[in-house]
Amino acid sequence: MSSTFRNISTIARKELHGYFGSPVAWLMMGLFAFIFGYFYISYLDWFVRTSMSGDMGGGMQPMNVNDRMIRPLLSNASVLVLFLLPMITMRTYSEEKRSGTIELLLTSPVTDVEIIMGKFLGAVGLFGGLLGATLLYIGILFVYGNPEWKPIVAGYAGLLLMGSCFISVGLFISSTTKNQMVAGSATFVVALLFWIINWMAESSGPTASAILSYLSITEHFDDFARGIIDTKHIVFYLSFISFGLFLTLKSVDTERWRG
Amino acid sequence: MIEVQHLTKRYGPVTAVDDVSFRVDEGEILGFLGPNGAGKTTTMRVITGYMPATEGQAVVAGHDVFTEPLEAKRRIGYLPETPPLYPEMTVREYLTFVARLKIGKITAADCAMRVDHTMKKTHVDDMADKHCSKLSKGYRQRVGLAQALIHDPEVLILDEPTAGLDPKQIIETRDLIKGLAGNHTIVLSTHILPEVAQTCTRVVIINKGRVVAVDTTENLTHQLKGAASLYVQIEGPEEAAAALGSVPGVRHVAETDRHERWIGFEVEAERDHDVRRAVAQAVVGKGWGLLELRPTRVSLEQIFLQLTTEEPAHSAADTPAEPTIGEAAHE
Repeated sequence: MSSTFRNISTIARKELHGYFGSPVAWLMMGLFAFIFGYFYISYLDWFVRTSMSGDMGGGMQPMNVNDRMIRPLLSNASVLVLFLLPMITMRTYSEEKRSGTIELLLTSPVTDVEIIMGKFLGAVGLFGGLLGATLLYIGILFVYGNPEWKPIVAGYAGLLLMGSCFISVGLFISSTTKNQMVAGSATFVVALLFWIINWMAESSGPTASAILSYLSITEHFDDFARGIIDTKHIVFYLSFISFGLFLTLKSVDTERWRG
Repeated sequence: MIEVQHLTKRYGPVTAVDDVSFRVDEGEILGFLGPNGAGKTTTMRVITGYMPATEGQAVVAGHDVFTEPLEAKRRIGYLPETPPLYPEMTVREYLTFVARLKIGKITAADCAMRVDHTMKKTHVDDMADKHCSKLSKGYRQRVGLAQALIHDPEVLILDEPTAGLDPKQIIETRDLIKGLAGNHTIVLSTHILPEVAQTCTRVVIINKGRVVAVDTTENLTHQLKGAASLYVQIEGPEEAAAALGSVPGVRHVAETDRHERWIGFEVEAERDHDVRRAVAQAVVGKGWGLLELRPTRVSLEQIFLQLTTEEPAHSAADTPAEPTIGEAAHE
């Protein structure tokens, strides 16, 4: 069993090395930090101005940083993730297939599951790094304000879980093609579909609506952003991830037979 | 060491490898020879566990590649047609990664030692800290070889190991491969014939997915020679052909080249007949000049063409396999 973890970690580290050795990771970190920073500044500005005018009116309850600032910020970040994650996952398998390095992996004494888990955890690791970088912004709030930390942890856990869902989908799509661009675009389209699915839910009948909004990846994130960690959402995300990884496993296996 | 039995691989309706069987003994270098698209790469990919066979089995060092893939893969070093390098890694980082991947449990110190040792062996140590993307074709190929050797596998599968190298590198690589035999069992594929003659102990010739010959290099040359043939250059008239043809033991005479003063013939004799003396006498007896008389050796190239093309060997020069000869001749 320990050899499984060792192999997974070898591959995950290789993946991270690949991300940080090429412009992908840096570009993404820059983009993410920049856009997140823009949201942050806008909300902060709005928050400061409204709370000041609130103070002047007098008698109002002080505004809650968690509710009025961090929650909408994380909701926006969740949309940002949708655009960025296809860029992370598109190369996972496609690039290895194009350059032939997949032959090295598939002829090494590691199992398909170990390779997939390594690649998945590598991508999740990079995504975690992106999220980690934004904690700096949140940290500043702690210096000047007094936000509660528990809802923030819930929000970040939600983002990580939601991102992992997109990563598992992206991994599967990347495993079906040699072309990074195709993998990236298809992943984006699919991720978008899972995002907008609850718009469709609003305009359909009660049963369909329930099903559609259940499937919406972002719908499940709302509670996390609110600071609620509900097992039903965790179960949803974990089963979604498992399904994505399962499809990847099947796809890799099929490709093997087709050659 | 390697046992391939009735291996068949189909891609949809296309049969890439058709009922291929052969075995390689410990310490041997087996040449896997065939024109492009004959099924060499597919066969190697099945042996290395990259893809499963449609039918048949491959056993490497006692482990079936399909039922015990991890055990088999641990014992195989594989250099694919394109060396599987990660452009963003340096040579040292890359080999370290492969060592961890192939060996699994290895200490950092042991790993570093292995990497250094392998880099020296394959002459890539001067590029140790260069990124793989910056390497020349020759270095890429040798790093690929280093990657295959890093875990000191019992079996080495090399898909065209000298492709794209310059002549000096080719000689170095061949010497390296020859040096590895004994400790390792090696299968190498190529479509360059002298390579096989120079490095391999045995040859498997494959064409259109089927094995057309398996033998030692020498045996193959002997067996296919059929009749001994001679090249005779005569300073004399046209009828020399008829005169040669009437020499007892001569089966066939064909004009091969002609000059103002002389004509060259290819004389084919019956099996086990030495007709050299009789031919010389016949020519000299007529008063013609005998400028040259020498046995023509059937080269591996001719054998290869005989086996891989349906036409007889002498018209093979017109077949698409011709570039193979050219390439071989330029080596």
